[in-house]
Amino acid sequence: MSLAVMGGADYMRDPRKHHFHPYADNGGTSVAIAGDDFVMIASDTRLTRGFNILSRDQGKVLGLTPKTMMASSGCWADVLTLKKVLNARLTMYSHEHHDVMSTTAVAQLLSTMLYWRRFFPYYVSNILAGIDEEGKGVVYHYDPVGHMEKLAFSATGASVAQIQPLLDNQIGALNMKDATPPTITKELARQLIHDAFVSAAERDINTGDGILIHTITKDGRTDEKVKLRRD
Amino acid sequence: MEGMDEITDKKDNTSNPFQLYMPLLPKSECQVGEFLVDENGRKLRLNFAHGTTTLGFKFKGGVIMAVDSRATSGQYIGSQNVKKIIEINPYLLGTMAGGAADCTYWERVLARECRLYELRNRERISVAAASKLLANMVYQYKGYGLSMGVMISGWDKKGPGLYYVDSDGNRMAGNVFSVGSGSINAYGVMDTGYSWDLTDTQARELGRKAIYHATHRDAYSGGIVRVYQITKEGWTKISEEDSKNLHYQYEEEKKKKKPTTTSS
Amino acid sequence: MALECLIGIKFDDFVLIATDMSHIQSIMVQKSDDDKIHKLSSHLVMAVAGEAGDTTQFAEYIAKNIQLYKMRNGYELHPSSAVHFTRHTLSTHLRSREPYFVNLLMGGYNPAINKSELYYMDYLAASVPVNYYAFGYGGMFTLSIMDQDYHSNMTREAGYELLKKCIGEVKRRFIINLPKFRVRIISKEGISDMPTIIAEGEAA
Repeated sequence: MSLAVMGGADYMRDPRKHHFHPYADNGGTSVAIAGDDFVMIASDTRLTRGFNILSRDQGKVLGLTPKTMMASSGCWADVLTLKKVLNARLTMYSHEHHDVMSTTAVAQLLSTMLYWRRFFPYYVSNILAGIDEEGKGVVYHYDPVGHMEKLAFSATGASVAQIQPLLDNQIGALNMKDATPPTITKELARQLIHDAFVSAAERDINTGDGILIHTITKDGRTDEKVKLRRD
Repeated sequence: MEGMDEITDKKDNTSNPFQLYMPLLPKSECQVGEFLVDENGRKLRLNFAHGTTTLGFKFKGGVIMAVDSRATSGQYIGSQNVKKIIEINPYLLGTMAGGAADCTYWERVLARECRLYELRNRERISVAAASKLLANMVYQYKGYGLSMGVMISGWDKKGPGLYYVDSDGNRMAGNVFSVGSGSINAYGVMDTGYSWDLTDTQARELGRKAIYHATHRDAYSGGIVRVYQITKEGWTKISEEDSKNLHYQYEEEKKKKKPTTTSS
Repeated sequence: MALECLIGIKFDDFVLIATDMSHIQSIMVQKSDDDKIHKLSSHLVMAVAGEAGDTTQFAEYIAKNIQLYKMRNGYELHPSSAVHFTRHTLSTHLRSREPYFVNLLMGGYNPAINKSELYYMDYLAASVPVNYYAFGYGGMFTLSIMDQDYHSNMTREAGYELLKKCIGEVKRRFIINLPKFRVRIISKEGISDMPTIIAEGEAA
């Protein structure tokens, strides 16, 4: 009672506008590199919220089909929703067609699904990696509302600005006189991914703890875990 | 199951491209510009492709379309190899400026509508009709924050066609257009060199040079300069050159043009 | 938006409508042969300026509906009735989620009673029959000229000269470059083009 008298009744205070901000940035970095007959996709395992570390063991690469994987980071809540809806769609497709969706079809589906939320976007950075109909490795990169680009290698997420230039130089051999881009072997791809994450973890608070590296070939998938700095 | 309805009741854009999710918020809250805002009011960068130079002009030999290939989100260059000329079908081209996803999505829908038109009417759609389909599609979303400035060009019964369409609802026919952050630079070169009677070689070179000069002056434009031409046989890709190589080439040509005598 | 200029003058047996031909986007002229005068029926035109997109969408909506009316009923809507329909449409949309932001001048000739008509209509759907009016900042400079020189019984030549005088003043005093004006005349004979006016004049 006395509070009401001192501060004035609640209805007498200035009007306040409440904003609705259903987004957060939970960090996370992903990298994918395509080879002639394989594709490698990796992400770090740290999940953050501001300067708090929520998890040191949260991989961000999701298996979609035996030939396709997606790395997704940004707003973790949106990642979970997107993952759920996308997996449901793929299940429906496989029931309807008695076949697994091809990587190129998954790529277009993901773009369309992201654009569905054009006016209330999923805050996610995505990379899709897979083996295409010809058995070649392919990488697709997305913006949050579904602009899609097919590439040979790509990084996305928190540390994109430190990793992408490294890949441009080491794989693309861009803007160098008389330099020829190297042939991408599994060994080279793995080494580059490892180095890229080690460097990113050194300089970006949103990246660290560990890496999960997945390799897809026509024969199947292998997963590997590598430790990073945990500070 | 809660949440699964969005997949099962077909209320999404996989079955009907016009059925986009509309948040239960007033129009002003649907503005997704360069960023979203998190719980603490901090800006979250959206990896949105913005900043561009595109141009198109009609001349006696058809239509020239030329574009750069850079996509930026803020200061970060997201890609140097974007295909900003969208091949709608063998005789229709669309360019891309503004939100990359907006342009690719709606021009894909346009391609579908144009194909349906062909199947229904047993003849190709006119450039005027195609551009109007697009203009009407995006006009439905006016005020919701779509961002696109595109040129639709092609060849139909009336000959070469060139239209400008944007997300404000503008649609106009014209002989010369340039769209994007580098358009002011491209216009400078294009307007001074333009004439209806240009030869094919001159016209292609004018388009290429105008885009090159825009990539040079406008930091948001760059990468590869792509040139297309439309004739009554449909479109053909003329060239795709790195703006870095064009720079040295034009530098060399300019040196040769330097006057030998100086004024006193 | 207000950079555009629409001028309309009504005389005893004809109406003159003049509009600038520039399509302006921010600081740039995107088109210099734009046509802002939409034909609605054989004896009626609408000059429109305002929000991009809304202008053509609204004008086409009105034009198509007036054509539909003719098809259904076998006769054309008279200018005053068409204006009433336009005003009603504009005011209904004004109170909806998506209003049209358009200012317009409607000029027509009613052959049944041999009368020329000119209406002012703004985006709030206020409709006023006028002898002459001009929209836009450029138009502001011309109103006093028309106040001074206008007579309802002027000839076509004199009317055209009056328009030239107005457009010269726009060129002289308005900061924005509006070099060319499209002119249409609406009379008993219907709608026809008059020579484009290329503005002449320099501030003293």
